[in-house]
Amino acid sequence: MGQLLASSADGIVVAAILAVAAMGFTLQFGLTNVINLSFGAVMTIGGFTAYLANVAHLNAWLGMLLGGVAGAVATVALGRGVLRLYARRRTQLFEMMMVTLGMGLVIDYGLQAISQNAIYGYTVLRGAPLRMGPIAVTPIEVGIIVMALVILVAAEAALKFTKLGKALRATAVEPSLARSCGIQTGRVVLITWTVSGFLCGIAGVVYIISTQSVDYSTGELFLPLVIAAAILGGVGSIRGAVVASLVMGLVTEIVAGYGGAAYSTVAGFAILVVVLLVRPGSVSGGAEDRQLVL
Amino acid sequence: MVKPRVLAVGAAAALGAVLAGCGATAATKGPLVVAGVIAITGTSSFEGSNQYDGIPPAIYEINHDGGVLGHKLVFKGVDTRGDPADALPAVQQLLATSNNLVAVAGPDTGSAPTIVPVLNSAHIPMMAVAGESVYDHNTAPYFWRLFAPDSANGIAMGLWAKQKSFTRVAAVFATDPGSQGDLPGVLASLKALHIQLVANISLTPDQSSYQSSVSQLIQAHPDVIMTESDGGTAGTFFGELKSLGGLVPIIGTLATYTPPWLTAVQSAIGAADMRQDYAGLITAPSKPTAAVTAWDQAVKGAKSKLPVSVHAAQNNPFGVTYYDGMIAVALAMVAAKSTNPVDFNKKIASVCNPGPGKKVVYSFAQGVAALKAGKQISYFGATGLIKFDKYHNSFGGMEAVTSSASGSTIKLGSVSVASIEAVHVKGVA
Repeated sequence: MGQLLASSADGIVVAAILAVAAMGFTLQFGLTNVINLSFGAVMTIGGFTAYLANVAHLNAWLGMLLGGVAGAVATVALGRGVLRLYARRRTQLFEMMMVTLGMGLVIDYGLQAISQNAIYGYTVLRGAPLRMGPIAVTPIEVGIIVMALVILVAAEAALKFTKLGKALRATAVEPSLARSCGIQTGRVVLITWTVSGFLCGIAGVVYIISTQSVDYSTGELFLPLVIAAAILGGVGSIRGAVVASLVMGLVTEIVAGYGGAAYSTVAGFAILVVVLLVRPGSVSGGAEDRQLVL
Repeated sequence: MVKPRVLAVGAAAALGAVLAGCGATAATKGPLVVAGVIAITGTSSFEGSNQYDGIPPAIYEINHDGGVLGHKLVFKGVDTRGDPADALPAVQQLLATSNNLVAVAGPDTGSAPTIVPVLNSAHIPMMAVAGESVYDHNTAPYFWRLFAPDSANGIAMGLWAKQKSFTRVAAVFATDPGSQGDLPGVLASLKALHIQLVANISLTPDQSSYQSSVSQLIQAHPDVIMTESDGGTAGTFFGELKSLGGLVPIIGTLATYTPPWLTAVQSAIGAADMRQDYAGLITAPSKPTAAVTAWDQAVKGAKSKLPVSVHAAQNNPFGVTYYDGMIAVALAMVAAKSTNPVDFNKKIASVCNPGPGKKVVYSFAQGVAALKAGKQISYFGATGLIKFDKYHNSFGGMEAVTSSASGSTIKLGSVSVASIEAVHVKGVA
């Protein structure tokens, strides 16, 4: 029982890290229908920005904020500067996915060259663990869980109760109808790229706080889990992404806790496979029938 | 008008010329290709990048000193991804497209079983870092290993643990092929040395957290951890281990004594704990010799081709091994007066192994000068004495070292070849 509690607590920590990224990914995917495979590379940009802020002796929380801003700038530059050009040439979903993959690799290998392929330590906000019986979590891990919950509540509230949220939902469902109703869909897309990029940058920082290091491939290695959580939660569903992150976090850590660390990721992805088999429609959300919204 | 028969003869002649050019023999004074068959990407890329660091300095030194029999050397990277399934087509493509291929740096542990027979059949000498003990009695004539086998690494780690009176070992190895390659040797040596294994933990590389594995390890109450993984994974794992109060002494394989691993773990646990708790078992480094000076200069000369700093490359035990291997290959070509691998492969051992009347040389330039003077040579490498046995293996004793905060090597003790060979392990592939 003690092991189960300890592993569950660890799973919630992993889920919180995953959820921050998955919320950003699914928000943008749900609106634009772009499977953005450069998301991991932008996470790395966020991580490196926080690292440089730390080197410059800036406050760690300010570093996190700067990481988020860097993620937003990079994502908007990618969305408006690159992807929209392709969309105007009527690039299809799969081709656009390959464009994002290419952009991600450009960023990754650019960072590899700049960073001299080195791993940089990032040990900030560490503290003595808080213990409750078999459970041991550090204060920053509690902070990450709280942050994930705050982002969830804020995003859900914004989508439900604000004009922008309603405009975003309308654009996601039927962009041409939304435009004819007077919604400035271009502005909605821009804001979505910005928010998604900001969350992506924050996710990169949160991730390196947990792993305590950053290198050029940091975000890329985390990306499959992010995509899995976003898909498992249902495309465009913030709440779904969080629940899916929780499921994946708990499964991977409980499997690891009972001696199957080598199979923990396998178990996480096995859930995705089962869901794809049982409820295939819930995954795509009909995205294959939709157009790119850029 | 050209008659069809003449055309056919001309085409056949042209085809023959092309096919002749595709052979392993380098018949022209064009550049000779040295390929790095290493994991450039994938989970074993941390090993591949370490291995790469030795190749540009060797090529720089050889080219700087006039090349090999008038040929310059050029590098070609072949990405194995540490996986035989990826390595095989990549190597087949290399063989099909590189008509002046003379040597390979590699293959690595993960891809060796598939790649060694292919390169051996193609008569391409390879300086491998494949740790599998099956190569302890290697029969492939083109396979060479300047590296301790995994079983020897494992035994050295076990012997060091015994020297330090550790009795409860936890094995923490990542699941990538490179790291897993060392694990059987460690487990077998613990059994042979009657040291208790209290936990055997596998880490999937690059996870955001390893807290469950850390908890599992703490509950096993080890008094030492034996480990290998990439730097990022190790930084996360040992950082969390320290956060949860479970840090105990660490004995790492050779792959841990590399700048990325040391940087990541030192950042995670702090310089003081690193100095106190970590020991890496590495091939005993050479005493300062002209060969080490030549290596240092070659690294400086090739710095624009290296993805890491000069200091990091100079202290990379993988890199220096490949450097020695490539210098030995180049000297063998000069000694054989041929760039045909069938001719010069036979000379690799003879230009390295010591013997009566041989002139000891410490660099490519010294070796070429001695050979031109009609002398037999023994290349004493930057890794130290090179003495290939009949199975084409050469490795010396092991040394336990740690790293200071500034990155300097601090010697903790040594494990002799004799003591390693005295331990008989069973069941190590």
